[in-house]
Amino acid sequence: MALIAILASCKNEPDITPINPLAGLTKLKEGYAFGASAKVEIWGKKNLFMGYNSITVVLLDSLNLTDTIKDAHIHFMPEMTMGTGMMAMKHACPVENPKEEATNGVFPGAVAFIMPTSSDGAWTLDVMVHNHKYDKEGTASFAITVDNPTPSVMCVFTATSADTSKLVLSMVEPLAPNVGMNDIEFTLHRKESMMSWPADSTYTFVITPEMPSMGHGSPNNVNPVHVGNGHYKGKVNFTMTGEWKVNVAVQKDGNTISNNTFFTITF
Amino acid sequence: MWKNILFTVTLVVSIPIASQKNALQLAISDSVNLREVLVSVMLPLNNKDIVDFYRTNQFSTLDNITARLDGMSLIKRGAYALEPQVNGFSGGQLNVTIDGMRMFGACTDKMDPITSYIEPTNLKKISVKQGTGSCQTGCNIGGAVDMTLLEPEKDSAKTHFSSIAFGYESISKGKNLLVTLGLGKKKWDWLIDGVYRRNENYTDGNNQIIPFTQFEKTNIHSALKYNANKISSFKADALFDLAHNVGYPALPMDVSLAQAMLFAVEYQRKTTTELKAKIYYNQVIHIMDDSKRDSLYLLKSKPLEKSDSVYMRMDMPGKSSTLGAYAQLILLWNEKNKLTLKADNYTNNSIAEMTMHMRYARFAPEAPMYMQTWPAMLRNVSGLFAENSTYLSDKLNLVANGRVDFNIDNLQSKYGQEQFSVFNYSLAKTQSKWVKSLNLLAQYRFSNSISLIASTGYAERMPTIGERLGFYLFNAYDGYDYIGNPYLKAEKSNFFRLDLQFTQPNIKVNLNQSFSAINDYIMGITNSQIPAMNFYAKGIRVYSNVSQAKLYSADLQVLYSPLKTLTAFLLSKFTLGEINNSNPMPLIPPLKNVVAIQYEENNLSLQAECETALAQNRINIAYGEQATPAYAVFNVKSGYRFSLSKLGFNAGLGISNLLNNAYFEHLDWGRINRPGRSVEFYLKVSY
Repeated sequence: MALIAILASCKNEPDITPINPLAGLTKLKEGYAFGASAKVEIWGKKNLFMGYNSITVVLLDSLNLTDTIKDAHIHFMPEMTMGTGMMAMKHACPVENPKEEATNGVFPGAVAFIMPTSSDGAWTLDVMVHNHKYDKEGTASFAITVDNPTPSVMCVFTATSADTSKLVLSMVEPLAPNVGMNDIEFTLHRKESMMSWPADSTYTFVITPEMPSMGHGSPNNVNPVHVGNGHYKGKVNFTMTGEWKVNVAVQKDGNTISNNTFFTITF
Repeated sequence: MWKNILFTVTLVVSIPIASQKNALQLAISDSVNLREVLVSVMLPLNNKDIVDFYRTNQFSTLDNITARLDGMSLIKRGAYALEPQVNGFSGGQLNVTIDGMRMFGACTDKMDPITSYIEPTNLKKISVKQGTGSCQTGCNIGGAVDMTLLEPEKDSAKTHFSSIAFGYESISKGKNLLVTLGLGKKKWDWLIDGVYRRNENYTDGNNQIIPFTQFEKTNIHSALKYNANKISSFKADALFDLAHNVGYPALPMDVSLAQAMLFAVEYQRKTTTELKAKIYYNQVIHIMDDSKRDSLYLLKSKPLEKSDSVYMRMDMPGKSSTLGAYAQLILLWNEKNKLTLKADNYTNNSIAEMTMHMRYARFAPEAPMYMQTWPAMLRNVSGLFAENSTYLSDKLNLVANGRVDFNIDNLQSKYGQEQFSVFNYSLAKTQSKWVKSLNLLAQYRFSNSISLIASTGYAERMPTIGERLGFYLFNAYDGYDYIGNPYLKAEKSNFFRLDLQFTQPNIKVNLNQSFSAINDYIMGITNSQIPAMNFYAKGIRVYSNVSQAKLYSADLQVLYSPLKTLTAFLLSKFTLGEINNSNPMPLIPPLKNVVAIQYEENNLSLQAECETALAQNRINIAYGEQATPAYAVFNVKSGYRFSLSKLGFNAGLGISNLLNNAYFEHLDWGRINRPGRSVEFYLKVSY
């Protein structure tokens, strides 16, 4: 691909430089969606982790394994099973299913895993595919391991408001923070039931970055606001490298309903 | 812009040494010759007289000498590297140069004014000019200090000379070693001079040891001169100065290394037209070090007896290098006019970094915190200077000069821009600015003994790198972190000065008054929106243009010799400053007087000196100033010269602060007492 890019630039026709949608990603899993005539590949930046995971799905025609399928309906169905036997309990987590039209030949989506794999609980990720090419449906099932990153990039908490909603706050950006002004992006999902975790656009945020060991914060931060689909975007400023703590007050109708929610960012 | 320049003037603090008949000899600058100089009795009083007067102690640091010059005060952060202040102006408001060469300290906290990299031993003379007219080396609003390096010169009697000297100060167990060596052969002359100093912590007038006042330094300078013929010569200079283990009691950190290197090549051609061209490079490396400090040192709420439960270490290296060149032409274009033209250019490259390492007891260290306190920046300044001296009559001389500087600042990395995005600045990679200066001086001679010099001028000066792009520069004086302002306007001054001189064979009197009306005065203004950087700092100040400020200074100097063997000297310095609505300007010294009497007969000299300052109660409380009490200090010195065969000996013995008073001056940061009684002696052997 790099070679193509170089050749393209040599020809001085940068407009037609093909975009590689998988640049910087690694293949995490692959398997067949039986019944859909599709091979499903799951690509991500790193191994799956507790937090908001951007997941790119590549569908290959299982007949020749070279043609990519560009028109399909994809559903992520993550499921955690906790405990065993009589005590076993199952729950899902927030997902963002890809659009039916592939983007640059692939299907970007996201899954926000709300807890890591542990001795007490195991995740599976089912990817249901409706292959529009043959109008066939099937599901690929993956046993996956969800890492527990340090520092954490997700807060799962119960709102202190009367409705005691269970909320999932994920930090999407900054992934590679710099000194200076950075984009900051959150997603917020609310638990409707064990299996349903829809995005919620009705909350507001106040962020206050601080450097605990210095006892200072930073000026001119912009509180994230809702931009669609449960995503909230703002700006965060870091005056130096080191260990930062970004305090996030989640608010509903002007009242803070979170308690000590923060993200630690070290760079 | 030019409309603003109604009258501009100069102030050249100088004392024109003009002969009665010839404008060609008119010199407008005042110089202090540090070595043997022939002084004509009828010349007006100038800095040279003062230095000659104080030359008895060969071991004076440059600071000791400059402290006694008119208009000069010193800002003190420790026993070492005092920062010059001229009539209330300091830092970027002054031009401090070495033979006209620009050189810049590498410390963001002004701990290394370039005077700290030069020793009196290196110097032939030091010249101080006050006011906007001192723009020969660069546009500035306060004045200029130029240090001329020692030159190898053919002594008609000798082809070589050498001297070695040793001095001791009891208060700091200070040991000083000085060496000078010169050789001449045919068309070549060479010299080398060097100093080694080592001082331990001194004791104040209360017999308390003041920690972190130690320092150690080595300095070597060498010059080689080739006289091609009677009119042309080439000269090369190299200077190396290394200070280490320098304590700064008024600051939360010390300096483990301050190192300067300077190289210069010069060509001179002297006929009726004088040409001087020079190329130079210098480099300063400055490394601050707090490894010997308790990291809770400055914390106000520090629990008693508790030290260092948190290990915070700061690593703050800075580097500044300057490459420059100038060409200067002095033309006598007719009998009554002398024209000086100078073109110069320099490029300064600087960067200062700070990395903080935090470690709580029993925990793993945190990720290092890194920032660029001066982002990597290249500043190029090109200037043109012209001055014309007109000899109108025996009574009246006129001098007009002007200068323009074109300044380009270029950020060398994205880091500076990214850092400043935090403050909502979208910073251009390159910024340029013109600054200018225009000055006029008239000297009127009422009689052989009385003359009056009136000068006026307008000048602008560029903000310094720290003022433009400084990023959390801690100022231990007011306890605030300072942040630069990329879009600061140039500081401007309208300057007026009157100099009255009275000269008789046995008495010289010099009374001068300067007034500067400053617009867009640059100082830090508290910004409560930006949080302080650490537990030490009280808050943030952002460099800003204050619409108006005023500075007034008056100096009186009297040198009186009632007998051939007896000389008395008086110096009174007074400065008054205000910013905006008549608030006192911070860091302005109170009235200071020095009275000295010297008795000199045959080979013996005796000198007694009394130095007093009034209390400074005109203070700026908002800035963080506190009143300073008055003080009086007495010093005595003696010197004796003799020779044994071919060797010449100079011996001296003195006592500083005779009464062991505990005192500090208003410009001393941290209100730290100066040294108590100290016995000093020196011995110099020359061949």
